[in-house]
Amino acid sequence: MQNDPIALVLDDLLKLDDILACMVARHNMISVMPSSDGFKPEVHEIWDVIKSAMDDVFGVIREYSSAGLAEMEFRLQDYEVLFYVFPDTENALVAIIPALANKGLIEVEMENARREMLAVMNEKEKERLAVV
Amino acid sequence: MSRKWNAREAGREVAINTLKKLNTPPIFFLLFSTIHYQKYGGFDEFLKGVWEVLPRGTPLVGCTVVGFMNNMGCYTRGCSALAVSASNIDVAVGIGENTKRSPKAAAKKCSDTIKKKLKESRFKNRFSLNLISGPELIKIPGQGYKKFVNSGFISKFVTQAFGVSQYLFQKGLGREDEVFEEVIKNLPDFDMVMGTSIDDNRGIVNYQFCNEEVYTNSIISLGLSMDSGIHVGTSHGMKETDVKFDITSLSRNKHIIYKINNKLAVPELYKILDWPDNFLNEKTMHYRILYYPISLKRHGREVPIVMPAILKDYILTPCVIDKGEVKILTISGRDLIQAIEENLHLSSFSQPDFGLFSTCSTILQTMGNEIYIIHEKLLDYFKEKPFLMFFCAGEGSYSPKTDYTYANMSYNNAIFGS
Repeated sequence: MQNDPIALVLDDLLKLDDILACMVARHNMISVMPSSDGFKPEVHEIWDVIKSAMDDVFGVIREYSSAGLAEMEFRLQDYEVLFYVFPDTENALVAIIPALANKGLIEVEMENARREMLAVMNEKEKERLAVV
Repeated sequence: MSRKWNAREAGREVAINTLKKLNTPPIFFLLFSTIHYQKYGGFDEFLKGVWEVLPRGTPLVGCTVVGFMNNMGCYTRGCSALAVSASNIDVAVGIGENTKRSPKAAAKKCSDTIKKKLKESRFKNRFSLNLISGPELIKIPGQGYKKFVNSGFISKFVTQAFGVSQYLFQKGLGREDEVFEEVIKNLPDFDMVMGTSIDDNRGIVNYQFCNEEVYTNSIISLGLSMDSGIHVGTSHGMKETDVKFDITSLSRNKHIIYKINNKLAVPELYKILDWPDNFLNEKTMHYRILYYPISLKRHGREVPIVMPAILKDYILTPCVIDKGEVKILTISGRDLIQAIEENLHLSSFSQPDFGLFSTCSTILQTMGNEIYIIHEKLLDYFKEKPFLMFFCAGEGSYSPKTDYTYANMSYNNAIFGS
């Protein structure tokens, strides 16, 4: 996990002040977590209800990702949850941010993180196919 | 570019990555950085890292910005540089301090240096890039940093402390429009682009870089003289609506709108735009206000701006304005994309050598991750040639042929080529 390049991209995102939590996830499963200390403390008290809402959103992502669903988001109390879907998959980069955050600037770095992760995944897939 | 977190390492890396693309030493080095390094080592360390690599004596100018876009992508964290090596360009760097306290004096000192150093240049085309310290919010006692003030008492305090704060503490509006006007008066035959330094749009602190030093409240200018072509231009994409009003009362410094249509400004604005109560507050201000730009007037010129702050019943403007008719404008993502297409189309170069863009951070805020649509347009235009777009808070351009433009939510280009 410590050397997982996708976890390292999540570490970079989590260093941004307004990213309270980030992960790669799918329905009922968190695939990759940041390799550093974990989510910021303010997320812990609301985590259960956010996780439950996330799972419902992943139901929609599962249905419509192949139709081109690229991003989703919802607002719950004082937080927003952003989903950046990996094309044609049921997986997404997910981030929890404060509702007052400057979302436009965060979206740019979310997009950069998604592109970096896709590059890592594509490279791994190429290596796997080369071996086969 | 560097995306390292540590300031010194980032400075070193951005210099290495930039210079490795040059065959000969650079004649100047432009450097833009987001504010993050303040927390990860500081900007003195950042510049020290750059100078571990950059040849001593290379003219360096730059500043902190909200984000930047280059051939590799768009980023709101990190640093990016553009360097040029050439034998047919003369270079000058100027600096003027205390821009918020004495904008004209700062502008004159800076532009006098550029004028003097390029006076004997044999090349015919003149250009200057002007980076000016942007706005820094006043910390209101007991309240902190606010863009929306709902208390009548506090708004009166802020209004009255405004000028004092700018003069004594150099906190408040950047006054970049006043600085830029003075630079233009002193260098009327130069093509110019102007941008302001800013942090991550919180408006707390910002820095400028000149050679080996870090500055605050300054104008830093890079002057160039060359034979190759230069095109500068501004586009913004904002469209007029049918909604208008008249500014009927302004503060003495012409930065605060007291009354519109002879009524208190903010309640009248709410009525004109049919906004519900509490439409604007500290929580909603920074994104809702982006969608209601207004077109003001200054010396007969249209000045499209975003209203940066509300002081109870009054509206703060980012620049000096005149009384008279104001139009409400409208803008969409599609308009912003069309505006960059128009901006590139204005330049007639078949082969650009490189390009610089001073662009409003509200465009970055509005477009979010869709900013990559703009990136595609720039890549398509420049192809392998380098470009650097920096996102700031207050920008403009000037050309002897087209005169002066100051605007928010705009693209201001300087494209060099044949």
